[in-house]
Amino acid sequence: MYFLYFDPGLGAMIIQAIVAAVAGVILFSKNLMYKIKLFLGISKPVDDELFDDINVEDTDIENKKTSDD
Amino acid sequence: MTTNTRHSSSFRDPSGYIFIDEGILKRSISPIYFKQYEALKKAKIFENLSKAGVLIPHTELSVSDKEIVIQPEQIPFITYPYEWSFNQYKEAALLTLKLQKYCLEHGFSLKDATAFNITFHKGKAVFVDTLSFDFYEENTPWRAYKQFITHFLGPLVLAHFHGAQSLKLMSNFIDGIPVNMLSSMLPFKTKLNPFLYSNIHLLAKFEDKHNEDYKGETKQSKLSKKAQLNIITSLYDYIKKLSLKEHSEWGNYYDKTNYSDAAFIEKANIINNWVTNLNAKSIIDVGGNDGTFVRQINHNFELALVCDIDNNAVDFNHKTLKSKKESNMLPFVLDALNPSPAVGFENKERQSFIERITKYAPDVTLALAVIHHMTLSGNVPFEMSAHFFASFSEHLIIEFPKREDSWVQRLLNTKGEFKAHFDFYTIANFESCYLNHFELIEKKPIENSHRVMFLLRRKSNERKD
Repeated sequence: MYFLYFDPGLGAMIIQAIVAAVAGVILFSKNLMYKIKLFLGISKPVDDELFDDINVEDTDIENKKTSDD
Repeated sequence: MTTNTRHSSSFRDPSGYIFIDEGILKRSISPIYFKQYEALKKAKIFENLSKAGVLIPHTELSVSDKEIVIQPEQIPFITYPYEWSFNQYKEAALLTLKLQKYCLEHGFSLKDATAFNITFHKGKAVFVDTLSFDFYEENTPWRAYKQFITHFLGPLVLAHFHGAQSLKLMSNFIDGIPVNMLSSMLPFKTKLNPFLYSNIHLLAKFEDKHNEDYKGETKQSKLSKKAQLNIITSLYDYIKKLSLKEHSEWGNYYDKTNYSDAAFIEKANIINNWVTNLNAKSIIDVGGNDGTFVRQINHNFELALVCDIDNNAVDFNHKTLKSKKESNMLPFVLDALNPSPAVGFENKERQSFIERITKYAPDVTLALAVIHHMTLSGNVPFEMSAHFFASFSEHLIIEFPKREDSWVQRLLNTKGEFKAHFDFYTIANFESCYLNHFELIEKKPIENSHRVMFLLRRKSNERKD
């Protein structure tokens, strides 16, 4: 066991399997809905002005490099 | 290296600590963390994340068997989670998840997820704790999961249901809001939401059930990387969509003021002249609303701190600066009558607003449409507000609305029968009190209004450094 300087919570360590399962279902159904909407041609509004995607892509990093310098 | 220069906020993580060396903040890394540090460096994690602008960049100063010293890019003014607006808080939460996803995909993991690992710099949230990264061990759950919930998801969900004021709770609970408290404070309908049920209510139950297992009898659970990524992504998706129920009225604030356009322009011109003549590099606008006025100033500041008591105004400002990609403005929530206190171990772990702003010492303080609120709503005597303003910057630009001003009249009328107690609210009294602490450089009435602008310089004996 690692030395931790904060309480990770034993319950919190165990529960993650359940949380992950729930998350899996939510993500799966979202994905499914998205595909259905896409198929039916219902456009999805994009509200990404302020917050980017979760991915820190290596390609982003390359782009940043050139634009910042 | 002795530890007596160790920064008072840096003691929890044994991997290293930050210290101040001749005014420059540096970080010492202990041998216990060398393996991780070298691996992260080799995998270019530091380099890539800094280039992507999500991690504060650093340079390596020295390497020995006993310690490695690095110098991070210096951040002029640190803001804490309880000083952020709702969307700033959201940005910080999303940044943490982003980092964790990137780490997982590259064989590492964030070993902690405190909100204090993040601050705002150059117009965006940035992760400042270089030693928060550790190796990812296959099939282990995320150790910082509970911390993430108590530091980020919890406060944000509370703010969603009970208003942005709930974010202030973080100044008391610096280890995060306890899960059972979170669970009890959320409305019943959140139990019907599978995401909130599993991440908060069920978590509270599990924590309750297992918190007395001191012998470690409960078996270690396993979690695949894919499953952990699912948690991270679902947290990200949920938080990204989270919004406040209260809507900002501040977009048209300046339409509601009692200024004629001409008076507004004249006020801007007066301030422009003064600020340009002073060649000010930094400014703090205490009561800056959504930053409209600071943006009016035709002068390039290295850094403009714009604070307001209203979370919505700060949020609006944050959105504006994000969409305009401004990097030299830092909005945050400040109640001038109750600025953030010093909290944590020995009351030194997180510094008070006054300590930080005194150290930062902005060249100019802007106090527009503030003094009548401080004096008449907050009952702060002129003598005390003058002392407050004199404590942190060299120059003060202050706007004094005379008794005839409609706002002042409105505030006075709310005093009812005690109106006579505020007879001291006159420009003469104001001047005599303020001139105890400041020298008058210039004084200009704004035409077509009952307001007077003052440019003051603090007397040399007022300095506190």
